Amino acid sequence: MLNAIDYVPGNTLLHRLNPVTKLALAAAIIIATFLADTYPMLLGLLALTFALGAYAKSSSRLVSLLKLLVPLAVVMLLLQTAFVRGGSPVFLWMTSEGLETGTKACLRLMGVALPLILMLTVTKLVDLSNACVEVLHIPYRYAFTFTTALRFVPVFSQQMNAIMEAQCARGVEYDTKNPLRKLQLMLPLCVPLLVSSVGKTDATALAAEERGFYLRTRDSSFKRYPLVARDFAVLVGCVVLVALGVVA
Amino acid sequence: MPSSADSPIIELRDVSFSYEGPSSQDGDMALSHVSLSVGRGEFVGVIGPSGAGKSTLASVMSGAIPHHYRGALYGATLVDGRDTCEVTLTDISRIVGSVLQDIDTQMVASVVEDEMLFGLENFGVPHDQIEERVSQTLQTVGISDLRDREIATLSGGQKQKVAIAAILALQPRVLLLDEPTAALDPASSTLVFDTLQKVNREAGITVVVIEQKVALLSRYCDRLLVMSRGSLVLDGTPRQVFAHGERLRGIGVDSPRVARVYNSLARHGLVEGGEPCLTVPEAERLVAGLVGDSPRQVTEGNFRAGSRHVAAARPHSEGAEPVVLLQDVCFGYPNGGATVDNLDMCVYPGEVVGIVGQNGAGKTTLTKLLNGLLRPSSGSVRIAGIDTADVPTSRIAAHCSTLFQNPDNQLCKDTVLDEVAFGLELQGVGQDEACRRASSVIDRFGLPANEAPFSLSRGQRQMVALASVVVMEPEVVLLDEPTSGLDYRECMTVMETVSWMAERGCAVIMVCHDMEVVSDFAERIVVMADGRILGRGQTTQTFCDSDLMRRAYVEAPQVIELSQALARDVSPEFAGISQVSGIVDLTEEMVGRA
Repeated sequence: MLNAIDYVPGNTLLHRLNPVTKLALAAAIIIATFLADTYPMLLGLLALTFALGAYAKSSSRLVSLLKLLVPLAVVMLLLQTAFVRGGSPVFLWMTSEGLETGTKACLRLMGVALPLILMLTVTKLVDLSNACVEVLHIPYRYAFTFTTALRFVPVFSQQMNAIMEAQCARGVEYDTKNPLRKLQLMLPLCVPLLVSSVGKTDATALAAEERGFYLRTRDSSFKRYPLVARDFAVLVGCVVLVALGVVA
Repeated sequence: MPSSADSPIIELRDVSFSYEGPSSQDGDMALSHVSLSVGRGEFVGVIGPSGAGKSTLASVMSGAIPHHYRGALYGATLVDGRDTCEVTLTDISRIVGSVLQDIDTQMVASVVEDEMLFGLENFGVPHDQIEERVSQTLQTVGISDLRDREIATLSGGQKQKVAIAAILALQPRVLLLDEPTAALDPASSTLVFDTLQKVNREAGITVVVIEQKVALLSRYCDRLLVMSRGSLVLDGTPRQVFAHGERLRGIGVDSPRVARVYNSLARHGLVEGGEPCLTVPEAERLVAGLVGDSPRQVTEGNFRAGSRHVAAARPHSEGAEPVVLLQDVCFGYPNGGATVDNLDMCVYPGEVVGIVGQNGAGKTTLTKLLNGLLRPSSGSVRIAGIDTADVPTSRIAAHCSTLFQNPDNQLCKDTVLDEVAFGLELQGVGQDEACRRASSVIDRFGLPANEAPFSLSRGQRQMVALASVVVMEPEVVLLDEPTSGLDYRECMTVMETVSWMAERGCAVIMVCHDMEVVSDFAERIVVMADGRILGRGQTTQTFCDSDLMRRAYVEAPQVIELSQALARDVSPEFAGISQVSGIVDLTEEMVGRA
């Protein structure tokens, strides 16, 4: 099963960076996206994300995510144009100012979502949590909770899929064309999903404890995650990105 | 205080446990007054019907009770001489390594190597020893080649081995497994037990395994514990335990078929009783010894006599239109992976057809093509005269009901009555009528109509799911592993209901790993491997085709293996017998003839 946040194996520079550096890079792109207020900068940051994605051979994931984001962005654009009424009218109800804030909001939405996903596709979750514990001194239990939550996303989506299939085979119209009707049919299924997820998380907690979870310290990890020259170089790049975001 | 070498590694002294808390009645106890001890290096199997307290027993042994689950615990549990109440769960797990029932929840990493490292890192194994431990454990379990694989891409059997290896690397003294083979096909189950046996013999690790598959347990365990209603009712070697065939059946535990042959012969006074055979060769020697003295009247005349002992096929309407028709069906998943090719199949009303094959042979894909969840990429699937390509899945549901392996995926209503009536309402049956029909089915199954389905036991939830299939009165019923996770008695209730539906003209197609169930209830089987149909035919005859069985990695049922061996070495009259009673009757007759 293909998942947007699944690790894409590889040996590019991006894969070999320290997970914390990758996190910083994603954060820098996101911060710059929030700060930037010109089209060239916003588009440039998006282009950077895609260039990195293409380099790490995970651009197909970004594109599949984009398919989800674009409809959302369109809805956002329409709403923005409806609320922001300044400037001269351009087309129907839309005004020049409305269009400008709207498109920028859309670009920001994509600019914020994509770098994080890119970071996750080039990092194994275990490495991410271990590096956060080692480099950032985050308590392991928080790092573990976070990565486990991410790891459960595909598990739950599979579960949801199995439930939908079972219900569909019973004659519930999930194959309906009407999205509102589909949503209405899906809501009751949250109960079985919730019941099984509570059981699963409880079992996970037990299994982790039985494998010495509470004994783990910052020095436990077998693999080490030192920051090396290339990490510092990228970190400097991150600062430049944020600075660019402030001026542009 | 570490104990000496000959003292038990786990000891339970009059242990009782209730999830409800101290106020509960004796009847609500999940475990009541269990005393037992597990010696170092033993290979112990635990069996019992569902709700007997097997998992609770495992939790007590692993320290999850009292440290993780709340409730009232009485008595004392000693692990390596120390009371589990007085040491932490982490310290208990240094001695007792547990593999959970749902291994997906146990996994913490996405790659096999990281999964192996997790426990080793936590328990502070010196980093210079970690590499050796990891590679050695992977080798012991026989999965060195999987080290860099993504766990998500592994098969069920491989995943199970990874879960075992991750625990084994911690070098526990006891390995405790809760139904490790529940989701596996027979070949993978055997491999998992081979691994356990190797660990047990070579590393001297005590193995305690909860399991439903009696034939596997009897082959590998030194000792069997039988649980019933929270109590330990039998404790002994597999031979001692299976000598009590009648009693086990009363409890709701199956016996290996060869043990049943022995016990049945003992009831007829042909053997002494008390030492049942557990493997097919043993049973063959026994029967050969009994009839060996009798003159072998192998003449043309009685060559076919074996067929007298074959149960007659269920009469079904000759010349009727097939209700399921697959013509040259191909399907491939969009992102690569499994495909099925050139499937042809034809099922008539009133037939029970079994589909057998390894995990990944394409059986589930076939069922999804039948109930319309998938559409063929070429070829056609016709159910009750409807081409599945023409109508939405939800419409096919009126003609074809599916009983899924996991009932929890289909339960969504607040009461059993609503749940059972739901399918009818979806098909446009009026509410009163739906309720009336649902009530009558619920009565038939003896289910509590006003309870919430999720508050019922696993077995009962499967019954609710089955009731919602029955109430639809479909033309075709699809069963996907209908008996997995059920105990012997629940399994029989499900299968008897299914046969009853078949007798009323419903076509039944079942995917099932339990070959005994297939051989007892299906009159035809379809053998699949690698997305293709390798062979098909009348059940017993097809199971007898040992070449076909080998190619599909399917193990024929014990009785059929036995009758084949007997037909080859003792008398051709045994050929084609698929039931215990057939073997026993013929043996008795042949002994009488002598």
